[in-house]
Amino acid sequence: MRRADATEEPAAFERRVYRNAAAHHYMKIGLVLESGERNIGAVQFKQLIVSAVRDLYGEVGGAFNFDVLCYDESALTAVLRVYNSGLVKLWSALTLLGSYKNKLCAVRVMQVSPFLLALSGNSRELDLD
Amino acid sequence: MALFMDLNVSFSEDKTVLKNIIETAAHLGYSTVAINYTLEFHHKKQEIPKPRPVLDLFEKLPVVQGKSKSITVLNRLTVVATDPSHFRPTAEYKAFDLVAVIPKTEKLFQAACMNFDVNIICVAMSEKLGFFIKRAPVNVAIERGVFFEISYTPAIRDSTLRRYTISNALSLTEICKGKNVIVSSGAEKAIELRGPYDIANLGIVFGLSTEDAKDAVSTNCRSVCLHGKTRSTAFGIIHTMKKSQPANKTEEEDEEEEEEGGPPRKIIKLEK
Repeated sequence: MRRADATEEPAAFERRVYRNAAAHHYMKIGLVLESGERNIGAVQFKQLIVSAVRDLYGEVGGAFNFDVLCYDESALTAVLRVYNSGLVKLWSALTLLGSYKNKLCAVRVMQVSPFLLALSGNSRELDLD
Repeated sequence: MALFMDLNVSFSEDKTVLKNIIETAAHLGYSTVAINYTLEFHHKKQEIPKPRPVLDLFEKLPVVQGKSKSITVLNRLTVVATDPSHFRPTAEYKAFDLVAVIPKTEKLFQAACMNFDVNIICVAMSEKLGFFIKRAPVNVAIERGVFFEISYTPAIRDSTLRRYTISNALSLTEICKGKNVIVSSGAEKAIELRGPYDIANLGIVFGLSTEDAKDAVSTNCRSVCLHGKTRSTAFGIIHTMKKSQPANKTEEEDEEEEEEGGPPRKIIKLEK
């Protein structure tokens, strides 16, 4: 959708239709640590996910690519991008991730979508007055 | 849209822990949780635990995320059976909304599938399954409306337990073809809980199809709850209850209600 310029003309919209299924899925995730620790760098964060995938699927099953698109160190949230074929594996590895440095932790998957734009807002967090 | 349920949350004496778990479950989007009381037989006379009222914990139950309703809390009893004499449906069982059994031997598994009056049969996930699950008793259990439970918390705790969980779950889902399976947490801490959509995805790893995996946390759990309600009735048709007598009468009588005509129908009220 594109908003028309601020003239008197009626708003113009552009309709875009995806002919094919999107190749990627995007996931917005948050890491919760029981100890409340917050100093995890982006590299450590990705390493944590990679090792979780390898723990569950091994070298062969865990050989798929995914990217950490952005990572917020203060809130421990990140946006991941993964090919559709790896989504179930990545998601289940995140679900079964239970400890970080021998401390309990959990990954809360907040949103999953084939469109990155969809992650810009979350209707479940809206405060309706 | 089907509501999500987690029918296995471990009871804990510590009120703050239990409160925390229920609050987290509500936040993750579960509409119903069942607090699990485990009954293990160490000596001959084991006392059956009594369910605690939930209102001890909360003045007001937490609101489910994305809904404007508060969470429903049920009570569930799990009997760990190593001997056929361990499962005796007594009046104490009726205090619970759900009754589950963990059969430890093949014979008991068969008996549980065929004729135990239970709602859920748990397949032990934290140990190697000592027997093969056979198709015939499982089919009878499916016919009777008994559900099989996979609990995922052991898989989070330890990598060995994870292997057992996945292999036991795969052998179960292979035999029952994804029907009558529920996936629940068995969490003892709030951090061990996972969101309902995560579990629906995890079900795929356990060998369920995408739809079956989602049913395992939603519609199948609802069926279990309804099946639990029929336990207090006769064949789900007749429900008898004591009617409080007016003060001038001393004699107590059981009042019986019966629905006549038409096919047999559940007269318990179906919720939602």
